[in-house]
Amino acid sequence: MSIKALGDYDFPAKDRQEVYGDDQLVNVFWEGNMLFCAAACFRAPRAMRWADFKAKMIDPWASADPDYRPEAAVKWRKDDKPFAPKPEQTLAQLGIPHKGLVKFRTG
Amino acid sequence: MAKASMRERYQLLTRDLDWNPSYVTEQQLYPHTRFEGIKIHDWDAWEDPFRLTVDAYCKYQMEKDKRLYAVLDSFAQGQGHLQVTDARYLNAIRLFLQGVTPLEYQAHRHFAYLGRHLNGPGARFACLCQSIDELRHTQTETHAISMYNKYYGGFHSFPKMHDRVWYLSVPKSFFDDGLSAGPFEFMTAISFSFEYFLTNLLFVPFMSGASFNGDLSTMSFGFSAQSDESRHMTLGLSVVKFILEQDPDNVPIMQDWIDKWFWRGYRLLGLVACMMDYFLPKKVMSWKEAFELYLEQQMLEGLFPDLAYYGIEPPRHVEQAIAEKQYLSSQVFWILYQFSHAASFTTTIPPKAEMDWLAEQYPDTFDSIYRPLFEKAERMAAEGNRFFFPGLPMLCQTCQIPMGFTEVGDPTATSFRSSQYQGERYNFCSDGCKWIFDREPWKYIQAWLPVHQIYQGNCGGATIPEVLAWYGIDAGVDNGEYATSPDAAQWAQWHQPVVAGG
Repeated sequence: MSIKALGDYDFPAKDRQEVYGDDQLVNVFWEGNMLFCAAACFRAPRAMRWADFKAKMIDPWASADPDYRPEAAVKWRKDDKPFAPKPEQTLAQLGIPHKGLVKFRTG
Repeated sequence: MAKASMRERYQLLTRDLDWNPSYVTEQQLYPHTRFEGIKIHDWDAWEDPFRLTVDAYCKYQMEKDKRLYAVLDSFAQGQGHLQVTDARYLNAIRLFLQGVTPLEYQAHRHFAYLGRHLNGPGARFACLCQSIDELRHTQTETHAISMYNKYYGGFHSFPKMHDRVWYLSVPKSFFDDGLSAGPFEFMTAISFSFEYFLTNLLFVPFMSGASFNGDLSTMSFGFSAQSDESRHMTLGLSVVKFILEQDPDNVPIMQDWIDKWFWRGYRLLGLVACMMDYFLPKKVMSWKEAFELYLEQQMLEGLFPDLAYYGIEPPRHVEQAIAEKQYLSSQVFWILYQFSHAASFTTTIPPKAEMDWLAEQYPDTFDSIYRPLFEKAERMAAEGNRFFFPGLPMLCQTCQIPMGFTEVGDPTATSFRSSQYQGERYNFCSDGCKWIFDREPWKYIQAWLPVHQIYQGNCGGATIPEVLAWYGIDAGVDNGEYATSPDAAQWAQWHQPVVAGG
């Protein structure tokens, strides 16, 4: 479709990456657990190490389910592509895009 | 001089007051009716289904107002706020006041704009009447529901909440989408999709809910608005037929808008589905039954065979909505349940009798999927750990609802869709929402997504108490768990049997 408007129509995206400076948004979804109605959305530095992202953001969130065990989170995927994040790798190095989606399973 | 008939008076006082401009061209006088590509050759072919004049219109509305305000007076005198089925019922009315009433006001403003900007006098006058109706509805809804504001939480500050609170961005962004479209798309969106195609699933359930649950005040508003709403419905259908008849080139444009606004409206109806099945202590009918009656039977089997004459087909993605009728209300309730700490309403796990009713209504999904979830939440609450989603959810870029919807036909597999535009990624809950974005990405990249706005620091602060304060929510009174709320405690106290001499 082409733009149909009365005048010029060119506006910036409200959530473009630059608005968040050195940070980005990351969505995290616990597959196979419907207790959480949706994936969580976090704001995190792109330079944050995976180990910190997991321990400081994902674990406290997922722990709202009393059945969560941090060490049981496995089968990580970026969207639907399996990936194996190393603790030292940063979010940027892992290639997780702004507003991207990371999924895991437990057990 | 003999008195003119109603028809003659309408002609004299409406269409005959129009004139052809001589200082400017018609296009200069009406500059907004060409850019969408809709071609209108004969504005006089507009059939106004209700040939009203201003004096007749005012007379009808005054009489209705008189009756309504008499009821509201007796409601206040008779402590009508004690007569509802349960204080929990009022959550449905909070949703209505916060989500729908501000839309009536926006509709008032935009129909006033159309009353200036459409080329034909018949069309302008119909829009003027609707504009006044919508303003009257804003006022009468506010007055009817303010009856509860004195006694219960969550009813104050609704216009502010409408502009700020996360779940209210769902109806707000829906309407903003229409307001920022051209006049013909707005009429297709609001007059046709909203007021005709979906109205029986939107407006009616709230009013029947009020009637079934002893809410005399809201019910009386509903009666008072009923004849206006049926006029708006008739107008909605005549608008669509008028545009379709004017030029064959209009048909594909209209089909595209009908497709878009069906899915936009349907996603919004998720809130109504939840309200019907979970918020009403006394149920009117289930969402599934309402969907089958009003959408499948009346619209798909009644209306769309008529529209086929013009080349219009049933809306795109409707089969997905049909599949979702089996579980939509539970999915939305589950979202609202775990985010009600950040809402101006309360929720609670349905009592056992209601769960059994839900199991009867939804035999394929309730006992296998939702009852176990609710029982887990119940156990957590019993241990003093009422479940709330910690942090913020991922939102759909188009409908702005937390992404809790699932693959069509599989209520256990959450669905994720995304698109790339100008190097950025955008997320969607469904094929319908992605399709709407992909048609006009330049529009939806501007969406004010509540979660992202909080992360940008635009909503009062980084903590939940700061955001709630900015929302205008009185934490601990307006929000959270119903069973432990001040409303529930007060209700129990008001209805405590007093034993004489005891």
